[in-house]
Amino acid sequence: MAFFSIPNVAIKGVSACVPPYIEENKDMPFYAAGEAEEVSKNIGVERRHLVRDGITASDLCVKAAEELISKLGWEKDSIDLLVLVTQTPDYLTPPTAFIAHEKLGLSKDCMVVDFNHGCPGWVVALSNVASILSRGDVKRALLLDGDTVSMGISKTDRESRPLFGDAGTATALEFDEGHTPIEFNIGTNSKDGNALKSIHGGTRNFWTLESLKNELDRREGLVEHNPVGDGMDSMSVFSFGITAVPKSIKNLCAKYQLNVDDMDCVLLHQANLFMLKKIAKKIHVDMSKVPTSLRDYGNTTSVSIPMTIVTQCANLLSTGHRNILGCGFGTGLAWAVFHFQTEGMVCPNILTY
Amino acid sequence: MDIKEFIENFADQFEDTDASELHADTDFKALDEWSSLIALSVIAMVDEEYDVTIKGDDIRNNKTIEDLFNDVKSKKA
Repeated sequence: MAFFSIPNVAIKGVSACVPPYIEENKDMPFYAAGEAEEVSKNIGVERRHLVRDGITASDLCVKAAEELISKLGWEKDSIDLLVLVTQTPDYLTPPTAFIAHEKLGLSKDCMVVDFNHGCPGWVVALSNVASILSRGDVKRALLLDGDTVSMGISKTDRESRPLFGDAGTATALEFDEGHTPIEFNIGTNSKDGNALKSIHGGTRNFWTLESLKNELDRREGLVEHNPVGDGMDSMSVFSFGITAVPKSIKNLCAKYQLNVDDMDCVLLHQANLFMLKKIAKKIHVDMSKVPTSLRDYGNTTSVSIPMTIVTQCANLLSTGHRNILGCGFGTGLAWAVFHFQTEGMVCPNILTY
Repeated sequence: MDIKEFIENFADQFEDTDASELHADTDFKALDEWSSLIALSVIAMVDEEYDVTIKGDDIRNNKTIEDLFNDVKSKKA
């Protein structure tokens, strides 16, 4: 069982950056009168920031990281590890962390690595970064997490277009001897992985003229999206979310003697409001303790937990001692539950690129 | 499991569709009000009321409410 408790690591701060262009759900052309408001009420999303004009996930992450490094007062040479999570890399090679490393002007002695992951990605990467820092050999790490999934979603896709937004974030972690452990439970349900899958363009099904044309036509809204086996099967993702997430949160709490009532907040991947409410109900936590960044930013995939920290929890986390429980879930399919304690985190205001 | 109760639970997921319009042989995906959000509500209802996890294929492959009922019943067994 992938339960693990990692001592000696402090989460020092989180920052975020969004692209300037905003798409309002009420302006989407496929809605009848009043429909947009009804859907927004259910999914919790009113608008989303989307990339345009060649802005990439790494651009957003780098801007967020510069702000965080400056607010923390870190010397760039003191950063020994740079990790970047994305499913929308700048290039096929090298890993996008190398692009960010160069732009940030980090040291040659800094290790860099990418995580190709979807919605559970921030938590999975956090567990890896914390594991490396815990020994004390590597002292400081930056965890960048950015996605621009809107680029692959058609303007006519009634299901995905009103839901997903783009963003980039940076999380700073530091070796801190004696710091309370960060606890994780990470699990995998790969047999249902088809629920979130892009089957074309990789080496298994490299682009053919036909599949590429179909993909481009789909992005333009000229052909219908087929949810079975390619793209998102939202019903199956929902089934997974409302069953696996409450169960794994309960398992983590049982393993480490945690009580949901003792938490200052519960940070869930911002799948959609309907799903968050169902999960909250099953773990018996009031929605007032489940912050959401859905309304103004949408579902920002793996970025949604750090986005929610920056936009909804900055006051809470920058003051006093806090207990935070949460779960990233989706792509894999996988879940990744965490519990950490913080003291005076640095959370600068969200930036616009 | 009782089909009558299942239809009532199913009907609770709709706002504009009257429960009297829903029967065992109703082709639920052909209902005017059927939407992806109602599909999610049905999945949540089955999870809450019957402790059974149904997925996208179960909604897509079952035509009538009774088909879905039988599917849930067999998964519960």
